[in-house]
Amino acid sequence: MNKIKVALAGQPNCGKSTIFNMVSGIDQHIANYPGVTVDKKVGFFKYNKQKIEMVDLPGTYSFSSYSLEERVAKEFIIDENPDVIVNVVDASNIKRNLYLTFQLLEIGMPVIVVLNMMDVAKRRGMDIDSQKISKMLGCPVIEASGAKGIGGEKIMKTIVETANAKSYYEEFKINYEELEPHINIIENTIQDTTSSLNKRWMAIKVLEGDTTIISHLKQEYHDIETLAKEQEDKFHSIYDKDSVSFLATFRYDSADIIYHKSVKENNKGKETLTDKADKIILNRFLALPILFAIMFLVYELSIVYGYKLTDYTWPLLAAFKNFVIDLMPKAYFTEVPLITDFAIWMVNSANALANYIPIFFILFALIAIMEDVGYMPRMAFILDRIFKKFGLHGQSTLPLVLGGAMVGGCAVPGVMATKGIADDRARMATILTVPYMNCLAKVPFYTLLLGAFFKPDMALMMFFISTVTVFIALIVAKILTSSVLKTRETAPFVMELPPYHVPTFKGVIIRAFQRVWVYIYKVITIVLAVAIILFAMLQFPGLSEDAEAKYNLQATKALEKFNAKAQKSTYYALVDTKDEIAELLNYYDGYKAKRMATTSKDGALAIDNKYKQINESYFKFIKPRSDKEARKINRILRKLSKDRNRILRNMKNEKVENSLLGMAGKSIEPLTQYAGFDWKINVAFLSSFAARESAVATLGSLYENNKADNTRAEEAMAQNSGYTPLHAAAIIIFMILTPPCIATMIVVKMQTHSYKWMLFAIFFPVTLGVIISSTLFTLGTAYELTGVEAMTYFYFIVVFIALALGLYPDKTINWRGGLKIPSKAKGQYNVYSKSLKGGK
Amino acid sequence: MQLEGLNLRLDSMNQGQKVKVVKIHTKGKLMHKLLDMGFVNGSDIEIVREAPLFDPMELKIHNYNISLRKSEANLIEVIAL
Repeated sequence: MNKIKVALAGQPNCGKSTIFNMVSGIDQHIANYPGVTVDKKVGFFKYNKQKIEMVDLPGTYSFSSYSLEERVAKEFIIDENPDVIVNVVDASNIKRNLYLTFQLLEIGMPVIVVLNMMDVAKRRGMDIDSQKISKMLGCPVIEASGAKGIGGEKIMKTIVETANAKSYYEEFKINYEELEPHINIIENTIQDTTSSLNKRWMAIKVLEGDTTIISHLKQEYHDIETLAKEQEDKFHSIYDKDSVSFLATFRYDSADIIYHKSVKENNKGKETLTDKADKIILNRFLALPILFAIMFLVYELSIVYGYKLTDYTWPLLAAFKNFVIDLMPKAYFTEVPLITDFAIWMVNSANALANYIPIFFILFALIAIMEDVGYMPRMAFILDRIFKKFGLHGQSTLPLVLGGAMVGGCAVPGVMATKGIADDRARMATILTVPYMNCLAKVPFYTLLLGAFFKPDMALMMFFISTVTVFIALIVAKILTSSVLKTRETAPFVMELPPYHVPTFKGVIIRAFQRVWVYIYKVITIVLAVAIILFAMLQFPGLSEDAEAKYNLQATKALEKFNAKAQKSTYYALVDTKDEIAELLNYYDGYKAKRMATTSKDGALAIDNKYKQINESYFKFIKPRSDKEARKINRILRKLSKDRNRILRNMKNEKVENSLLGMAGKSIEPLTQYAGFDWKINVAFLSSFAARESAVATLGSLYENNKADNTRAEEAMAQNSGYTPLHAAAIIIFMILTPPCIATMIVVKMQTHSYKWMLFAIFFPVTLGVIISSTLFTLGTAYELTGVEAMTYFYFIVVFIALALGLYPDKTINWRGGLKIPSKAKGQYNVYSKSLKGGK
Repeated sequence: MQLEGLNLRLDSMNQGQKVKVVKIHTKGKLMHKLLDMGFVNGSDIEIVREAPLFDPMELKIHNYNISLRKSEANLIEVIAL
């Protein structure tokens, strides 16, 4: 046999991924199933020289076609035709798990049952006779414990044996008694199908109304649906039973037989550790404080400590930047080669995002722990009622917290964490509201504006900013779920609360690495592509000839001044040509940059030695010590460096003003003037799209004082911009609502699987932002409000709307019965009415 | 709020009570989901607790724990044991 193809199936929380990690080691490949955002993990390994490929199917409770995961799993079985199905069963929850096992056995492919978590089952006093189960089901049953690393060898061995003995495989059949004649009729109808799948299985699935199998058969048998309906109706009229619930009950009864014959429970009715823990964790009075404490801890460990960790990783990134700059052609006084400018821009853009990697790694590891422990569904259980009011889901909590519901976060992991939300409408609403949270990169921007315009009220304003976002997100979620998302599928809140488990170190680390890798691979590559476009838009068309001449003249003057003073020094011979001066300046700047990137004494010494080696006499000018003549040069060199930087900055600003982006900023001025934004603010917002950090950088450089003194950006902005605090309030509010950065857009695209929603996620907040900040600014001007007053009014209006929406009672439905179609107005009942109309 | 039959609905049960499923009054996706999770006729359910904000509720069925919103629990007809 060439390569054995194995499908790994199992219910959620059965420990499938620990078995997967145990068997396949780290040779894993993670991708998506075609066309959907469900993770597809493939592992490769060998046993006795036999190559094995194992595909991890999504965890499903059943094998019908009602959820996306089930459809994906079924399509895999149909399209890939695996040699063996390995079914992981949670031994401590054996009855419900066997419900899936029966469905897998019916597929008609060899199944191996892996009884996982045997240790947990034993601890709970369960005696399981695996041989008896094996005999009753007619398939190999292996006892294992993924968390303890037990059973891996046996699983691999059995896979190879079973695959080799495939030709002896005898079809597994359940006798469905009164349903049998109807199954036979359908089976006979499809007797001549070209499909290689088991016909009896397909017949059963057709009777269950399984859409995947029906559409698989429809090409050959156009009227298969009518036939199925006919048989269902007949069965219903004879036995007054519904085939779907008949099959489910039958399978549960079969599972019950196995359970009773092969499992002995010694501690029945005794409290488990999980029961005891839940008495505290889900206690009516303690649940919320514990939840907030955990959220705070996650926030503290990942965002706060992770940020501190970046202090240590940043020098690495800075060293990388210096390394790249060293490779690039050098500047010739004020003439900086385009390629060098470009390289610096690209490295800066990449570094800005790479800087967050430590934060993400901690965050993803903590999420993996919470997932493995089993706290996630409990969090949803505790908060569901609040979120439900606004069209969200209990499971929206974590994405919102990661996005920055508590003062600062990042929308990228936030949006990525929405993956697990079962309810599609709530998931979409969460994806679209997470970007409203306060991202960490917005904080410096707020600090700049608050420092410039709201010095005395900084604390109050910061409180407004950080809490208003949550209320805005809730309002937006409510608006979206009752408008554009109204027709989206919702899922009933039927959620397992699994027993608590100790997570495995290996599992947590593998998952954290995989998610960080997705971030690096998808996000950074695309951000760099956008960075190139932005760079071009900031560079072209460039300076006019007049301006070019003007700056050349300034440069010459600065050089002349330097020259006049340098003549008095005994070292004049070393610096009497422009080439020499340009080289010396690069030497000086290079040294300064490297020196700033090190904090240790040894590192500083190494840099000193390196530069001494490059040019001994230049080093004297940088560190003159007691050499009087060198000190003179040092003084005028510093002055010259400052002059040069001033000229470069002015050139850059003029370039930005004339650039395509500058023109764009100017062209939307007529629209944004109602919000009080001039073109400079517009440019800052436009450039902030690549990464939020650039908003501060852009504004900082646009408002820097031309006198090149040491005024801080805040003061410079307050003095030079001509804005009032009301302007600033409007700007802040726009920033709160401003569209997500490009990195977030990419994960929105990944999670929604549509460019349409990505564009919506950009334009909806922008429109909202323009409208709200324009209204605020216009009214504020008319009523002569101060910035703080305007912000206060805004805050309380938002809070009022959110509370009104939240407290407004849902209409209760006080009718029931199978044939009534409940009102469309009550969102969560849409599914039922839809499926009623679907002809079921 | 009983409209039909004399039987009880799951959402009106109190903590600690034990009940048996009699009938599920729904169709389609929710019906499938409930069946898959083991809400088949005749299965025993214990009401473990309500969420801190009174909705949803936690139940024990087939020896595992599950949570349901009261709006969905209302569709499950039960008899007290």
